[in-house]
Amino acid sequence: MNRNYLFPHVFRFIGWIVLVPGLILGLTHILGGFEATWLNLPVFVVSEPGFLGEDKWFGLSTNNLTDELAGVMLIIGLAFLAFSREKSEDEFIARIRLESLLRATYLNYGILLFTIVFMYGSAFFWVLVFNMFTILLFFIVHFNLALAKARRNFRPDEESYQG
Amino acid sequence: MKNHIRVERARMRITQEELAARVQVSRQAINAIEAGKYNLSTMLALKIAQVFGTTVDALFELEPLDWKP
Repeated sequence: MNRNYLFPHVFRFIGWIVLVPGLILGLTHILGGFEATWLNLPVFVVSEPGFLGEDKWFGLSTNNLTDELAGVMLIIGLAFLAFSREKSEDEFIARIRLESLLRATYLNYGILLFTIVFMYGSAFFWVLVFNMFTILLFFIVHFNLALAKARRNFRPDEESYQG
Repeated sequence: MKNHIRVERARMRITQEELAARVQVSRQAINAIEAGKYNLSTMLALKIAQVFGTTVDALFELEPLDWKP
């Protein structure tokens, strides 16, 4: 009856399939500077600040899309992992979801606040890059830990009430 | 909030798992409700009461602590 906006349970599996190559692509790009040559493609841009010339608005440009592809795959993969239904999704799990989302948001923006005040230059830039993904990552970790704790606390008492 | 779900389950001889299936929630949810670790929704309270053939009032009881803001 209550509509929720979660993906079907099978999307968790799809999330892993998208996330793992996205993570490998992103890490090889960041750590090793890898750029796939076949991803040198013309792209439609809404806005591209000109390096020496004029700023470009709503036009075509050429770009290597390795980092864009990695970013899209990471966000989609993490979102599918975070927001796929559990096998038995109910109001108890919905409350764990809500608490996890709240804590993930606090932690993510706590780190961002710390970064704004105490980190400068490229260090600040790199935290911003990771901050795009960490809110989903923090949520996934907290939600799954909380769920595991609830399952651990479950003490079945089947024997005592069998007829 | 106190509840008498465990007593009612014993009376009807049904397990947490069976109750969970009948009201369409997880076993963990019933376990957490019984242990007083989760305040359930009105709808779920009504469903559980209906399974036991009783009222929500008879099944759940407010405690003085529940009135603290």
